[in-house]
Amino acid sequence: MSALFVLAIILFVLMAIVGGKKGIKSFIAFIINFFVLITVILIMNDPNGDPVLLTLLACIVISAVSLFFINEVNSKTTLAFLSTIITIVLLLLFIIFITEESMIQGFGEEESDSIYYFSLQIGLDFVKIATAVIIMSTIGAIVDTAISITSPMREIHQQNPTISRMELFLTGIRIGKDILGTSTNTLFFAFFGGYMALLIWFKDLSYSFGEIINSKVFSDEMITIFTAGMGVAIVIPIASGMTAYYLVRRKQKHKA
Amino acid sequence: MKAWIKNLTKQQLLIVTLIAVCFISSIIFVNHNHEFYDRPIGKITNTVQTDKAETVDQHQNQDYMVTQEITAEVQNGSNKGKMIEITNEYFESQAVDQAFDTGDEVFVTIDESTSTGTIEDVKRDKYLILVAWIFIIILLAIGKKQGTLSVISLAVNAGILSLALDIYLQNSDLSLMVICGISIVLFTVISLLLVSGFNEKTYTAIVATLLGTLSSLLIAYFALFVTGEQGLRYEEMSFLSRNPQIVFMAGLLIGSLGAVMDIAITLSSSIFELYHKNNNIKLSIIKKAGLEIGKDIMGTTTNILFFAYVSGSIPMLLLYFKNESAFGFTLSTNLSMELARALAGGIGIVLTIPITIYTSIFFIKRKQAKQ
Repeated sequence: MSALFVLAIILFVLMAIVGGKKGIKSFIAFIINFFVLITVILIMNDPNGDPVLLTLLACIVISAVSLFFINEVNSKTTLAFLSTIITIVLLLLFIIFITEESMIQGFGEEESDSIYYFSLQIGLDFVKIATAVIIMSTIGAIVDTAISITSPMREIHQQNPTISRMELFLTGIRIGKDILGTSTNTLFFAFFGGYMALLIWFKDLSYSFGEIINSKVFSDEMITIFTAGMGVAIVIPIASGMTAYYLVRRKQKHKA
Repeated sequence: MKAWIKNLTKQQLLIVTLIAVCFISSIIFVNHNHEFYDRPIGKITNTVQTDKAETVDQHQNQDYMVTQEITAEVQNGSNKGKMIEITNEYFESQAVDQAFDTGDEVFVTIDESTSTGTIEDVKRDKYLILVAWIFIIILLAIGKKQGTLSVISLAVNAGILSLALDIYLQNSDLSLMVICGISIVLFTVISLLLVSGFNEKTYTAIVATLLGTLSSLLIAYFALFVTGEQGLRYEEMSFLSRNPQIVFMAGLLIGSLGAVMDIAITLSSSIFELYHKNNNIKLSIIKKAGLEIGKDIMGTTTNILFFAYVSGSIPMLLLYFKNESAFGFTLSTNLSMELARALAGGIGIVLTIPITIYTSIFFIKRKQAKQ
């Protein structure tokens, strides 16, 4: 039996025991997201498609699965969904600029061993693919932060229906600040763990400081960490603002 | 803008000025640091496209091969100020090669007799610094104190990791797992104290994180042991200079640590909040409330790890597919390690939920007994 299969079974059993019905749904969402990712990669094989646009579509599907399928369609998940998409679009503009300028696309010379028997004239646009990779690495964290803000904000609004729009917004920002530290930590360590082999490699081959920071693989990974951190931070005011705007306006309508 | 400056306290004004000074001076430095490099750097002053030919490879992929004649001015070293000619060839897909524009700075090797050169690499430090600053400024602007603490936490943890790897490489008799274990304790204590300060919920989260990480390590070991690590393609890990099993395990533990800490501190904060609202709260209520929160967060947290790990493989997967590699072979070669990491991380996340709940209950029970 494959080790992956056994790990997947253990994860499923644990999620079902701890999370019950919701746990099983979380596991199914995990599987769905995997297939969405594979499908996106298969479509990216077509040189005529735009990888960035495709990634944006994939992000919409992935956020919908993570929010609407695990939870349900209601105001908190819808607001989290919309804030995620707005954040992704804003972040995308920055990432397109930075991947274009810093030339971090494709494969570094450290990877040449694993690609030397492949044809590299494959007609894809690796600059756009690099943009897609950075966005995809961040989507999970942005969705997580968005729902962690909209959900308690709605709770607070229900307990305290007279709260003003500004107060509700500031409450959202305060909640966001509290989770900023842990969300960025989640990302940092996820990337650190992935880069262990690379860091050991750099040290083993005694790269100089200048060689490390200018190398393609290191720049790529640092830029991914920093943009992911930015994504988690800018979703905070976006989610707080949208939730405050929507919830307080709706209440005024009720009155009228 | 004026009103905004007036509203700032003296201390805030000082901090804003200090950051602005650091930002501007580091950007100026990184754009003029050529003399600090031993390798010659060329700044491209002109590019002319001399040829563009359509190519078709053995898998019928169409691409274009472009030839550029580049003029660059050497920025440092003994050839400073000299103009060199460079011929650059690249495929338009730019998988390993690169199109250059006027203004780009590149590391070159120079043939002095002919005043020609070859491009070795791109000078990327200025972009790295720029992105780092934008990251810092956004985090400080939105997160204020908490934002500052997460920037500090990133810097300190990166420092510890680098130091730990140095110690590992210099003392090959010390096992990476031992060093990794010590680092994990340090990472956990420092990150959680920075995130939520010295208080009982932090201590609970630290204990729960360490127990959660330990149990996910045991389960991952067990799963790999009973299956004989079948299906894991260690040989396909990138950047290998050491024993892959150990590097993989260490990466797995550190990778899931952030997510496990996230779960532990989220749960322990909520549980202690319940306790502070009502000191005589029934333990069964705490347990139920903790489980409800846990259910809500485990799905999205597992997703963070999944996308952070797996997305990096996209370029390699595309390269395999475009070279007509078989579907199953491509996936198993490129994704087995990342999937194993994401699944094991997920196991750690889910296990940490009951562990944190029971750790919190243990501390609260002691407090209630004292009353």
